[in-house]
Amino acid sequence: MCMAVPSRIVAIDGAVATVEAFGQTRQCSLMLLGEEAAVGDYVILGAGGTFAAEKVPEEAALAALDYLAEVLESGRA
Amino acid sequence: MLPESRIHIALRTSAGRVAAVEVRSTRMVEAAGRFAGRRPDEVLAILPLVFSLCGTAQALAAVAAVEDAAGIVPSRPQIAARRLLLLAETVSEHGLGIARDWPALVGEAADLGGAKTLKTAMAAIRPALYPAGDWAVPGGGGLVPDRFRVQDALADAGAALVAMTGFRLCHAIDDSEAFAAVLAHPSTAPARLLAGLGEDAGFGAQPFEPMPAGGPADLNARLAADADGGFLARPDMGGRVPETGPLARQAMLPPVAALLARHGTGVLPRLAARLADAASALREMATLVQDLAETPPSPIRPAQGSGLGVVEAARGLLAHRIELEDGLVSRYQILAPTEWNFHPGGALARGLAGAIADDRLEARARLLVHALDPCVACTVAVD
Repeated sequence: MCMAVPSRIVAIDGAVATVEAFGQTRQCSLMLLGEEAAVGDYVILGAGGTFAAEKVPEEAALAALDYLAEVLESGRA
Repeated sequence: MLPESRIHIALRTSAGRVAAVEVRSTRMVEAAGRFAGRRPDEVLAILPLVFSLCGTAQALAAVAAVEDAAGIVPSRPQIAARRLLLLAETVSEHGLGIARDWPALVGEAADLGGAKTLKTAMAAIRPALYPAGDWAVPGGGGLVPDRFRVQDALADAGAALVAMTGFRLCHAIDDSEAFAAVLAHPSTAPARLLAGLGEDAGFGAQPFEPMPAGGPADLNARLAADADGGFLARPDMGGRVPETGPLARQAMLPPVAALLARHGTGVLPRLAARLADAASALREMATLVQDLAETPPSPIRPAQGSGLGVVEAARGLLAHRIELEDGLVSRYQILAPTEWNFHPGGALARGLAGAIADDRLEARARLLVHALDPCVACTVAVD
């Protein structure tokens, strides 16, 4: 399945954001995001993690991250 | 490590041909098992966030599974509204592939502006149908359709698709001669990709085994009996592995049928089917608008037992199966289209087996991967 990780924006430089999830940071394009994003916002990344696809509310993102952490810990990854 | 996954394709060659196709997947096909112990509404809230490519399809398959378990039959306007949401995601996904990935295959720049226009137009459909955001609710959420906004979004998306491809919607859906005429004088990067395939147009062709509409008849029983997850990882239908997705859905459309007759199930008919699938989705969406009607949210009804939900996502058949005990999920299974198409005996592997192993093999294999459109990153190596 095409699982993706909601990631928190920690820095923005032009159309490129640095995002963090599970202690890892990476860079993604904000070019395809339909709305303004700011540091601290959570975004869902598209396949390969190269661009932000959608902004999501913090509460929902945290619930999804909680689930993904369980998946990782379960060793079924 | 991040819980994202990949598919690795290794091609072993012998005597100038591909002798073996090894497909290794790190896809977490059993991750849905971790939904056990949660309430169905919690699962419905998480699904669209952890499946970014097909979040709408995932949530709608889940809603259908819960409704099946609860014996809920959604109303006609709810069915139309959900179909609109599903097709909107299909158009966005195909549009993104066509605008961002296809130009790279011919060494041209991605049309991110076009992709964004299409995605923004399709994203406007959800709030135009369910302003309270309760679209993924068993029985149906508060449907307050704004038909004009939906129609505007469809017009914007149609214009964007025509601009990015050079094909009018009717060319892609109905008119094989007009389709061929665009290929004769391609004016966009996606059209140049299709027009310039040459001998690669038929690469990957194999006997066509399309997935039946709605999936295998015994899908529910096979999932229920899948104690070790073997079926989820490597599904089959009576021992065969049919393909699912745009070509299986759109093989009867005249431009696709003409290309299939000429090239078999090679790269060109597959790419054309994806384009036709996007155009066809926009046309169907226009007809669904008339079925919309204001409908209050459905009362919450507890679900028990088991249920199966099946939807046609952008990349093909997506099935969810749920088992419920005392209002909580006791078992959850998701079977995604990539498990069929990138199965070790599936359409990709069958298409690569026996291919000529020259210096263009890797490039051709990548083309076929693009044409089959996996939902995760995919690497190809020739040994």
